[in-house]
Amino acid sequence: MIKHLKILEFALSSLWRRKFKNLGLIVVFSLIIFTLSSIVFLTYSFKREAVAVLKDAPELIVQRLSAGRHEMMPVEYMKKIKDIPGVGKIVPRLWGYYYDISTGGNYTVMALREGLQDKISLMEGSFVVGSGSCVVGRGVADARFLDIGSIMPLIGADGNVRRFRVAGIFTDESNLLTNDLVIIGEKDFREVFRIPQSIATDIVVQIYNPTEVDNIARKIKEALPDTRPITRREILRTYDTLFDWRSGMVLTMFLGAILAFVILAWDKATGLSAEERHEIAILKAIGWETSDVMELKFWEGFIISSLSFLTGLIGGYLHIYFFGASIFSPALKGWSVIFPEFRLVPYINIYQIAVLLFFTVIPYMAATIVPSWKAAITDPDVVMRG
Amino acid sequence: MNRETVIRVEDVSKCINRGRPNEVWPVRGVSLEIERAQCVVLKGPSGSGKTSLLSLIGCMSRPTEGRILLHGRDVAKLPERFLTEIRRNTFGFIFQQFNLIPGITVKENVMLPLYPTEMGLTEIKTRAERLMKKLRIYERRHFHVKGLSGGEQQRVAIARALINDPEIILADEPTAHLDTRLSVELIEILKGLREEGKTLVIATHDPLVYEQGFVDRVVEMRDGRVI
Amino acid sequence: MKYRLFISIIMVEIVILAILFIRGAGLAGKYQKDIEARRMLVSTLMLTDLSIWTEARYTRHPSQTDIFSPFQDYPSSIEHFPAGSILSPEGVYLQRGGKK
Repeated sequence: MIKHLKILEFALSSLWRRKFKNLGLIVVFSLIIFTLSSIVFLTYSFKREAVAVLKDAPELIVQRLSAGRHEMMPVEYMKKIKDIPGVGKIVPRLWGYYYDISTGGNYTVMALREGLQDKISLMEGSFVVGSGSCVVGRGVADARFLDIGSIMPLIGADGNVRRFRVAGIFTDESNLLTNDLVIIGEKDFREVFRIPQSIATDIVVQIYNPTEVDNIARKIKEALPDTRPITRREILRTYDTLFDWRSGMVLTMFLGAILAFVILAWDKATGLSAEERHEIAILKAIGWETSDVMELKFWEGFIISSLSFLTGLIGGYLHIYFFGASIFSPALKGWSVIFPEFRLVPYINIYQIAVLLFFTVIPYMAATIVPSWKAAITDPDVVMRG
Repeated sequence: MNRETVIRVEDVSKCINRGRPNEVWPVRGVSLEIERAQCVVLKGPSGSGKTSLLSLIGCMSRPTEGRILLHGRDVAKLPERFLTEIRRNTFGFIFQQFNLIPGITVKENVMLPLYPTEMGLTEIKTRAERLMKKLRIYERRHFHVKGLSGGEQQRVAIARALINDPEIILADEPTAHLDTRLSVELIEILKGLREEGKTLVIATHDPLVYEQGFVDRVVEMRDGRVI
Repeated sequence: MKYRLFISIIMVEIVILAILFIRGAGLAGKYQKDIEARRMLVSTLMLTDLSIWTEARYTRHPSQTDIFSPFQDYPSSIEHFPAGSILSPEGVYLQRGGKK
């Protein structure tokens, strides 16, 4: 035991000799781990959030396609769906997008049916359908400097401005769901966007038996060939793959960080300098065994990688969960004018952290230890030859 | 005086790069006996094999032919682990080039040989301090090697060689980088070590060393052989 | 003793990490209540997507989007919205019955 602590002590001395280089190494290594762990935490939390929250998304949505494009749907399609056994309530949805010239942002406008206003949670204020009022999300309120009682103007399809009184604003906790929403009454919606009574955006179908969903979806497709049914399972699966760290920009960032890391380890992996080899020979000459030298190298690698890994991991965690991923936000935001502030719940995935460990710490330690092997096994009398 | 034979070298030869065009035999058929508390000098010009012989005696490499017996035990055949332990327990080595590790302190250099042992740091520190005081380098204990003079470096190397309290000291051309004054100082230290009962084997071609009174035997070497 | 310093730093970091993780696990538990409220919202408003990337239709409602929108300029057009490069199209595409 004592022996190991003493070798550790010497390893620390050894690293401290080139303190700037090694501190720099730790800084860079930590930043890499910081980036990687931030990505891991962020995407995993997103994924868990989406899947947890969208569990109550509509079981089945029927959408009409025309030449591959999502088109509005005649309300009478509902009749054909009603006949299918196993189908419960059928409700038409009215929603769409609104581009706000003054902010440059896109809002999602949704029509709320009568009678549902009491069921809205996570909202400040109170909303009554049909009274020329609206409920907006935090992002919309911030972009347009709205408070409860302010006026939210919407330019209708006829070019005229219609004013809606802000009766409610969704709370911050619901940001991920409501940030860009503008909720108005159905009659108001139809008036603003000039959508006749006979048309809906899509149809929500309630299904009593969850195992029947695919069957019923198929039957709907047969009955209404120009429609596309979207099941809840598909919605959840979309979000499962969406936030997978193995795809998209997330993967690119991941690979970028791994590449930086490889460059870091390259310096170690390409072998020892003459100075380092000479030092190992001296150690052998004064009585260190091969295993002692290898242990020294192990500690050198371990010191750098353990300090970096822990520091980077703590940094990543704080970054995502205490600072709302503020460093990543601009990159993730893209061109979204309305973009939510993240308040993510820490879901920790030990498996992913282990993967991270495996792909960074282990290779780094290998890069430190393996090249020393050849030098460590040479006979010490090499030192004698000057 | 019937003294115990500490080292027996029996018909030892060493070959380097065997079978290749640059094959060379630095040591050929050397036999030698060294007794306890003796000071033996291996004398010869450079290339005579004295450094290689010293290295073989000090268990730093293995002979190609022949045996080396340490206290009657054949060390040539032992696995590396045992060889290192023997080296650590028995020998103190003073190199021609000092071979101190740059960038760490004098104190750490002196303590280094005992790091991979089970001895506690406190005890090692005590020993080191005693040795550094004896060799008058204690004031420099926190210095790095770069800041030391040639003589000081030599004394650090000696302190390091003595930290494990060896019974046999092997010195390879100890006065090679020293002027006369420092050489005399060094010789005094070596004399003191012999008086403490340590066995000394010194490889040198410096007459200042081999003409000293405390040298018991001079073994002349040329072209890898004893002449 | 440098090794004492090193070991303490490592221990401190491990403890911090443990505290953060345990706190996280605790929060996730407490969060159940909030999830209920959000699920309520989802079912009342009949929501299908998280409101994150509001650049385009297919970034705002990835689960509802048709194949048309992302490729509306021409079939192999390069993505012009940054968010489009974050959202992996593969999963969505495969679900729509696209072949690998």
